[in-house]
Amino acid sequence: MSPVRQDVESRVNLLRRFTRRPGRTAAEATALVVAAVVAFPLYWMVLSAFKPAGEIRSDEPRPWTSAPTLDSFRRVFGQQDFGRYFLNSVVVAVAVVIASAFIAFLAATAVTRFRFRLRTTLLIMFLVAQMVPVEALTIPLFFVMRDLGQLNTLWSLILPHIAFSLPFAIWMLRGFVKGVPEALEEAAYMDGASRARFLWQILFPLVLPGLVATSVFSFISAWNDFLFAKSFIISDISQSTLPMALLVFYKPDDPDWGGVMAASTVMTIPVLVFFVLVQRRLVSGLGGAVKD
Amino acid sequence: MLGGLLAYPIYQLGLISVFHYTQAQVSGGEPTTFEGFGNYSRLFSDGQFWEVLLATVAFAAACVVSTLAVGCALAVLLTRVRAVPRLALMLAALGAWATPAITGSTVWLFLFDADFGPVNRVLGLGDHSWTYGRFSAFFLVLLEVVWCSFPFVMVTVYAGIRAVPAEVLEAAALDGASPWRIWRSVLVPMLRPILVVVTVQSVIWDFKVFTQIYVMTGGGGIAGQNLVLNVYAYQKAFASSQYSLGAAIGVVMLLILLAVTLVYLRLLRRQGEEL
Amino acid sequence: MKLSVRMVAVAAVLATAACTPQTSGNSASDKDEKTGTLRVWLFQEVNNQPKEQVVDSVLAEFEKEHEGAEVTVEYIPVETRAQRIKAAFNDPESAPDLIEYGNTDTAGYVKDGGLADVTEDFGAWNEAKDTDPTARQSVTVGGKVYGVPYFVGVRALYYRTDVFEELGLDVPETQEELISTAKEIRAAKPDLYGLAVGGAYTYGAMPFIWAHGGELATGKGGSYAAAIDSAAARKGIEAYTSLFGDDNCPAAKCAAMTGNDTITAFAAGKAAMAIGGDFSHAAVEAGKVKGAYKVVPLPGLKAGSIAPAFAGGNNLGVLKSTTHRTLAVDLMKRLASKKAQGELFEAMGFLPTFSDVRQQVAAKEPFVKPFVETLAADTRFVPASPAWAQIDAGAVLPTMFQEIVSGKKDVDSASADAARKMNDAFGSAG
Repeated sequence: MSPVRQDVESRVNLLRRFTRRPGRTAAEATALVVAAVVAFPLYWMVLSAFKPAGEIRSDEPRPWTSAPTLDSFRRVFGQQDFGRYFLNSVVVAVAVVIASAFIAFLAATAVTRFRFRLRTTLLIMFLVAQMVPVEALTIPLFFVMRDLGQLNTLWSLILPHIAFSLPFAIWMLRGFVKGVPEALEEAAYMDGASRARFLWQILFPLVLPGLVATSVFSFISAWNDFLFAKSFIISDISQSTLPMALLVFYKPDDPDWGGVMAASTVMTIPVLVFFVLVQRRLVSGLGGAVKD
Repeated sequence: MLGGLLAYPIYQLGLISVFHYTQAQVSGGEPTTFEGFGNYSRLFSDGQFWEVLLATVAFAAACVVSTLAVGCALAVLLTRVRAVPRLALMLAALGAWATPAITGSTVWLFLFDADFGPVNRVLGLGDHSWTYGRFSAFFLVLLEVVWCSFPFVMVTVYAGIRAVPAEVLEAAALDGASPWRIWRSVLVPMLRPILVVVTVQSVIWDFKVFTQIYVMTGGGGIAGQNLVLNVYAYQKAFASSQYSLGAAIGVVMLLILLAVTLVYLRLLRRQGEEL
Repeated sequence: MKLSVRMVAVAAVLATAACTPQTSGNSASDKDEKTGTLRVWLFQEVNNQPKEQVVDSVLAEFEKEHEGAEVTVEYIPVETRAQRIKAAFNDPESAPDLIEYGNTDTAGYVKDGGLADVTEDFGAWNEAKDTDPTARQSVTVGGKVYGVPYFVGVRALYYRTDVFEELGLDVPETQEELISTAKEIRAAKPDLYGLAVGGAYTYGAMPFIWAHGGELATGKGGSYAAAIDSAAARKGIEAYTSLFGDDNCPAAKCAAMTGNDTITAFAAGKAAMAIGGDFSHAAVEAGKVKGAYKVVPLPGLKAGSIAPAFAGGNNLGVLKSTTHRTLAVDLMKRLASKKAQGELFEAMGFLPTFSDVRQQVAAKEPFVKPFVETLAADTRFVPASPAWAQIDAGAVLPTMFQEIVSGKKDVDSASADAARKMNDAFGSAG
């Protein structure tokens, strides 16, 4: 058994011991109650999507409806090009997640393992762009996209989203890379591992929980973006994303709440699916290393 | 390249803030003129700006503290429960996080509506209005902000705990330390890099809250009592395409946030924490 | 690889960026091609298909008439209009030739240099003579015409027939009666608002100010001065704000309400009266009060008079950057023609902007009668100044009403503050 494996395995056992302590029943009850409270607004959203129009805001706010209807969902799916919007959103979100995870992993390793001057300054500079109102950046970004000839293409969404989610991802992964003992790295090299092998087969699995957390972050921020989507996709509706299918229902003076709730429900589900797909990595991040 | 995508707009932002630059200039209808610090002096001489700034700082601080407390507590809770309750809590939290802010705010408003909301019925509050009083309106918005931003903290910190080397936890567990003690003296130091990121991110977001205030208080509350900087910037500048004034507000926000971040990092360093 | 090309491009952009912020040269196009593709942006409605059918039939005729001309229509969500239309002004490449826009945006778009002057074409259009004066005002800035009216929206008084019958009340005929009736209802039925009003409901409050002879602002040709603090306007403000209180609509709830909130309250049976638009009809029909309400014009000061109402609605306009000006103007006139507006009313319920067409549809559809009467009596429009966008976004008027009804300020000082803010906006936006 290699020292790496031994180390990892003993950690898993200890972590298990830490998590199995008395008071678990109380903890689980608390978790379920909190989950119910947190989920209630979501339930109300879904419920409102199924309520007939006159019932959504009525003076009898019942937590159920006796006349569920699919009308609101029909208005959502009945929109021209809805499928196209959905597909575009998936393309943008997936591209952003993969690109930012990949770049952030390498960049985080670089800033953690190699010391150079102005490192902290560089890290803070990464954050600066997030500190101003995005509205203020849309005009300059608009001109950048125009000069690159990328207006009205999905690139005009993908590139800024990668740029905006990277700072967080790098900062975040840095913490994870730092948490990996340098002794582990030395041990790996002593085992004869190459640098690339160490990076992808040892370090990568160890920081996987962090990667999953940053991916969820970049997925959600790309998926739920309204501002870039309406500022950079101007004349080519076929490149629009899902939030545009939601905004249709926000009509001044006469909003269609049923449509809003149904469209939001439809928008939220893919995020949950994405999370269910990746959450095993989050929960059993160390398991990946054990299997190696 | 990506650095360029961030740096160049920031550079433009500073530039715009010292010009007279509205939509008419952008689309070439009128020439741009240099204004120096005119936009800034306009901003600083507006008494409302200072009032809004103060409210923003206080509100953001309350949001950051609440979000971090809830997020960290639930992250620790997650490590102590089995798969089913853990998945339930995670999915609920993810749903809250994933709901578009504009919809989340609307739903919370509906839930707490004086005439049509279920919350007042359940609590027996009659037709009490949550958005009329300044503090009660801020409190309601705070609840929504915590609701949609604690999941980020929870998932991130949970991921951090999963990556903590177990020898450390072993030592603590063998000492028979309580969960609070393990958190305080073992996990916090280990998770410091992650907690720093989460805190800095929360500060940035909560300082820039827009949608929740805009939707839930009807664009800034009764007679503007619930205005925060970003909404103020929108009303004063962006909605009417006064980009130069908006850019000036943006620069001010940037400087404040930068100062807060640097002070925070400096404090950590003084405590002997290497970043 | 594509990315590296881009990197070079960004570097180039950075290197060439001079020391002024970027602008785009959006000058009027010299070209006026008679063939090719025309791009049109219309607003996407929640239920858009009937609108598409009306538009498609107009397009079919247009394309038959102009050989070699093609039209592509994109329906954009109203909520995205600000970004898209500004972007269209910034990037003529993505700009359409013809757009639908909200009529309160006219002055702003003109100032931004985006809309083409069509004064001559409008004057030469034989149908234009029947366009109602307020609708014409909504496309006019500084004496020049920048589009054609597409449809109008106007508000009137919705009231509950069952409540009025039960309490033995008459439909109010003056503003004074309106206020006293509202309070009478509230006294008899404390769980109802007499007349649902909103502190953020600017367009519901305006008729009160106009009925007393007040104005938002006075002036012509680009230079406006606030008049919201005049004696007449203050009387109107006084009348409207007197409706906030426990004897009609408690300030704690009503100060924050928008127009849509008041209609929601009415539709849910929480209010005996509300000021709602022709566009609110569907929401009320879907509510609890279906079949138990009627609509009359909002009464003015004298018995039998109608309070002046705000004429909202949308216009069509040609962009300055179009390379197909003649074709675009022709298509604009066809889309907004009497025939097309009549069809649009049948499809969507949007009120036509021609007085004669409106009379015809009112005869066919009794529901719109009170709205058509209101439009025929006296309608007003917001100041045709780009500053209006700033005043509107800055919530100047809602803030004034809310300061008064929450007891923070009295009518005099609140209206004086509002006037000051409006004048600031007029001064800075020109």
